[in-house]
Amino acid sequence: MTVETVESLKATFEMHQAMNVEVFYWWCTAIMFMIHAGFLAYEIGASRVKNALTSGMKNILTLSVIIPTFYFFGWWIYNAFPNGLIPIDASAALPWSLSMGPDVQDMGTGIFFAAFALFGATTGSILSGAVIERIRLSAFLILAAILGSAVWILAGAWGWHPDGWLLTELGYHDVGASGVVHAVAGFFALGVLMNLGARVGKFQNGVAMYIPPHSLPMALIGLMMIIVGFFGFLGGCIIFNGGETGWTTIYGNPTNLSAFGFNTLMGFAGGVVGAYLTSREPFWTMSGGLAGIITVAAGLDLYYPGLAFVLAASGGALMPIVGRMIEKMGVDDAVGAVAVHGFCGFYGVVMVGVFAASYPNVGDLPDITLSGQLIGAIVMALTGFIPGWGISYVLKKLNALRVPPQVEVLGLDLVEIPAKPYPESLPAQAIVENTLEPGQEKLV
Amino acid sequence: MFSSPITSWENVATYFTFSDSPTGIAISLAAAVGIYLFLNASIMKHEKESFDKHL
Repeated sequence: MTVETVESLKATFEMHQAMNVEVFYWWCTAIMFMIHAGFLAYEIGASRVKNALTSGMKNILTLSVIIPTFYFFGWWIYNAFPNGLIPIDASAALPWSLSMGPDVQDMGTGIFFAAFALFGATTGSILSGAVIERIRLSAFLILAAILGSAVWILAGAWGWHPDGWLLTELGYHDVGASGVVHAVAGFFALGVLMNLGARVGKFQNGVAMYIPPHSLPMALIGLMMIIVGFFGFLGGCIIFNGGETGWTTIYGNPTNLSAFGFNTLMGFAGGVVGAYLTSREPFWTMSGGLAGIITVAAGLDLYYPGLAFVLAASGGALMPIVGRMIEKMGVDDAVGAVAVHGFCGFYGVVMVGVFAASYPNVGDLPDITLSGQLIGAIVMALTGFIPGWGISYVLKKLNALRVPPQVEVLGLDLVEIPAKPYPESLPAQAIVENTLEPGQEKLV
Repeated sequence: MFSSPITSWENVATYFTFSDSPTGIAISLAAAVGIYLFLNASIMKHEKESFDKHL
């Protein structure tokens, strides 16, 4: 074989390898859209009939504001802030950079931007479910853009970037984004919920009332669709390297999809079992699958699958209990997002410190430690909670956070949406509309 | 519009529209940001009108 032939074969191989990388993340991104299809069904189902379409509209627009804002500043934040709050030069990630558009010779930037934008959109959807049926759409979209394109990705720069200070100083390990996505979004939602307040009628004489979803089957199917989307999400968390390196985690240590395969499935199953045992309720049980995966996601590459099942079962079992505790504190989290994402994300990061301490990181990076994981989990929770509470507090003071109570009682669909979810079989809106006299526009 | 920064596909790297024109990039980006901001303003206006109509 001639030198020219070898060089030609090498060039062909490298081109196909680069194309494989693109193909892998392309489909991860596509599958991640299933998360949003799931959230769409989940939140519509979890809403009462009178708010079904508003919840859906909120979900559709979530994606459509986070994707452009992530392009405007989110990708730059990830690249500029690994050291903390002082930016480093990341001009190639600014939206007017020549790196931020089609380039025949760059087969990485666009596809990673896409995957990260979808991670960001997931954080927005996590917030979206918690605040249904009373938040203003305008306020929600401001909060979603800040969470999805600034807050979580700042945490990502710290705990998910090869040079992030949580990794370089503490050996932080969170391969499946239990902390940087779920804990951040869950605690951001908690901060917003504290200012937003409960739905009208949720608490009577201090006792939490059950507000049933209008379509529990739709919500359950939505949750299962989110699980499907999670395979794209977790696939996007692994690094497909060129050369002889093969798969690594985002921290550079070797792993593979087989490791993720074992523990994602065991995490799902354990979470469902745990949630069933402590709730017996279908909404929590199905959420348990999500809770289980989130609980094991931080150590997805390290756990023995039997341990992953046990940890996921514990996370799934604790989740409904935490959800009820939050409710008893007067917080109306309509879909249990704080318990599922906030608590299980936090718990999952800490469990890596409990069960995987002393695992090495690559090079001179510190080993995984319990203290490092604990500090990392607290950083994630505060990075979510502080801006969530602070920005929603400002919106509340501006009277721009919540819809007026009369609108909430009437239903947001009737007031804001020029369409009906079930025009031939919906009694609730018909009853409301039938209270209007001919030609009358306002309710008496 | 004559926006192509290339005249052939030989040895091409960056080739998107306006990649040789900072002004074109600036105008496109400003328009994109403007649409995003207009969306937010439009939703606020729609909310106010909808709420006023039903209260």
